Amino acid sequence: MSVKRVLLVPLDPVHDVGLKMVRRGLEEAGHETILLPPDLQVEEVVQEILKRNVDTVLVSRTLGYGVAELLARFVDLVDAAGVREKVKIGIGGMAVRPELAAELGFDAGFGPGTTVDEAVAFVEGREYLPEANRVAKTKVNFAEGYSYACKHQGIQEKLDVIAGMILAWAAGKTSPGVRRAAIRDELWDVQRWRNYEPMTEFTAAYVRECGELPRNFYEKGILHPKTRRFTREEAVSFEDYIRRTKEQMQLAKLQNKRTKPLVFNQYGTGCPFMDIGHVKVSEAWGADGVVHFDPSWGARTEGFLDGFLTHQEDGTVITPANLNRIKNALEPSTLWQVRAHRGLNTPETVVLAGKIGADLTKINICYGALGGGTDPERLTVDALAAMRYAAKYAMPFDVVTNEELCGVPAYKAFAGMLITTALGVRLGARPVLQPLFCKSPEVMVGGQMEDNYVEFNAAKVMALREIIDAPVWPGAPVGFLTQTEDRVQSSASTAFHAGLAAMLGVDAVTIASSDEAYSGGPITVPAKVDTLRAVGEALRFYGRTTIAGTAQMEAWRDQIIAGIDQVLGEVVAKGDFVRALYDGVLGSREDGAYPGRNGRGTVAQE
Amino acid sequence: MPRILDRVMDGLDLETFLVCQSDEEGRRLIIQLLKEWGFSDVDIVFSQFQGPGSRIRARAYVHRSGDVYGWLKPEAEKETP
Repeated sequence: MSVKRVLLVPLDPVHDVGLKMVRRGLEEAGHETILLPPDLQVEEVVQEILKRNVDTVLVSRTLGYGVAELLARFVDLVDAAGVREKVKIGIGGMAVRPELAAELGFDAGFGPGTTVDEAVAFVEGREYLPEANRVAKTKVNFAEGYSYACKHQGIQEKLDVIAGMILAWAAGKTSPGVRRAAIRDELWDVQRWRNYEPMTEFTAAYVRECGELPRNFYEKGILHPKTRRFTREEAVSFEDYIRRTKEQMQLAKLQNKRTKPLVFNQYGTGCPFMDIGHVKVSEAWGADGVVHFDPSWGARTEGFLDGFLTHQEDGTVITPANLNRIKNALEPSTLWQVRAHRGLNTPETVVLAGKIGADLTKINICYGALGGGTDPERLTVDALAAMRYAAKYAMPFDVVTNEELCGVPAYKAFAGMLITTALGVRLGARPVLQPLFCKSPEVMVGGQMEDNYVEFNAAKVMALREIIDAPVWPGAPVGFLTQTEDRVQSSASTAFHAGLAAMLGVDAVTIASSDEAYSGGPITVPAKVDTLRAVGEALRFYGRTTIAGTAQMEAWRDQIIAGIDQVLGEVVAKGDFVRALYDGVLGSREDGAYPGRNGRGTVAQE
Repeated sequence: MPRILDRVMDGLDLETFLVCQSDEEGRRLIIQLLKEWGFSDVDIVFSQFQGPGSRIRARAYVHRSGDVYGWLKPEAEKETP
């Protein structure tokens, strides 16, 4: 490429910002530029062209009354000076259109939305390829690169004791969930299933471990009353929709110059088609990952259904066919999380998600047992199996602390999160810490957020960082309980929380839609666009700025750490983690947390 | 109902400012408006009455989960406006 000499001419009295941006692009590309002062007479500009011996002239001028005549006269003067054939002339500015520029005698016109690269391409005489400017996203494993080293000796010692205690307690214990997961792991071959080959050995063994609802499905063909199978015509239309949509997909990036936080949003409309509709929009508006939500009854049901099913209420039914369709519709760069954390299918969810190709899952014993309705004993046994499968299928899992929404204080929720994390690490998995960024009952009562939402949320991240070197992914979703049905408020609140997360340097955030607080109907896709747009603006606004710690943050950080240490000490003193869950050490009835009942009495010795 | 509504992925929101004398009046008027336009599955997502009237957002669901979605139909079958 030859070096071009470019004269930049701001004919506009004030607006030369665009030209200055183009100058930077040209100089970065190795060209020589001369930027004239604004508001010269066109005769003076022609003299500069002759004197400077330039290859290209780029003029900026906002069109207005009489301006077209001025610009046409400028081109005529260049022509009369005998250099028009040697010099390319382009014009840019508000209201400029290529057709108008050609009419006035210019070689090119650049209107609003022109990129710097487009102007550089004109100067270099090459074709401008918008494709080259498309956002190219690659899938990121953000749990890589952390050592999981514990930095707090007292907490480390207690976590070691507790993890050992749990593993010893669980040795030889099993449950229907653990057995189904083993059957799914050993006898269900995803390739054979994709080829429609029968798996009679799997089905026979699987049904024996299922509850009534799935058993009725496999043995009598009875579906859950809120579900129906898609018709063949619907499936064909769906495939066509996916094909058409993928052809026109363009991805957006929300982080501007940052590499993180990655932005996740949730789907779970009940219908895989509608989910995919939402997911494709989310991808196009910048979501880096999506989280699968299953129905609440799925957590209480022993076993999964099969088939391509839609559901008339919130939560999309986990079946191999549903997950497979959703997986196939995703862009290659999109991270896909399938939650496994809270119910009777926890380990099998991990196996199924792993076999179908999910990137991430979600496991937390304490939330599932104290806020998710599952019996603590059962979930402890099941979660250990789930973590082993998460390691086997190389799926990092977040350890969500949603029990805070029940009223459990952050330090207790974090103690539970760290116990699950320690177990996960010991079992070879890669847990991700998920503190809530949330106006939780604890702060509503305690007043920590009366002035601002920044310091207590920041203190949580600071506390975790003081304790362990692990990835952090605030959720779930950020800003939960600060949102209202007002979409502007809700989007702004989400964006501020995401901006705070970015300034704290966390790895990812999960955001809600602006419909989060609306309970009158399903979340709509424009509500997802609302918050993705808002978060993009926040990340653009804050850029790579970081946030300085305050004395209040440090005080709360230290309180949280001390609280965690104290709770872990109480678990150690109990000598029995499951007993500690039942007894409220990690979240009590007074806090608002209740040990779940689903699956009680189903744990047995192998 | 015009076929162009097939292209609405899920819900259609109507957000405006209604000159009215109370929150209740604003809510009643906007629901009445959507119903007059032929929508039946309608709700108020947000309403804030202050001073001269209500800043209000109403929603008409065109496609709910589990429905047969117009936007899934092949392109050729769609009526273009």
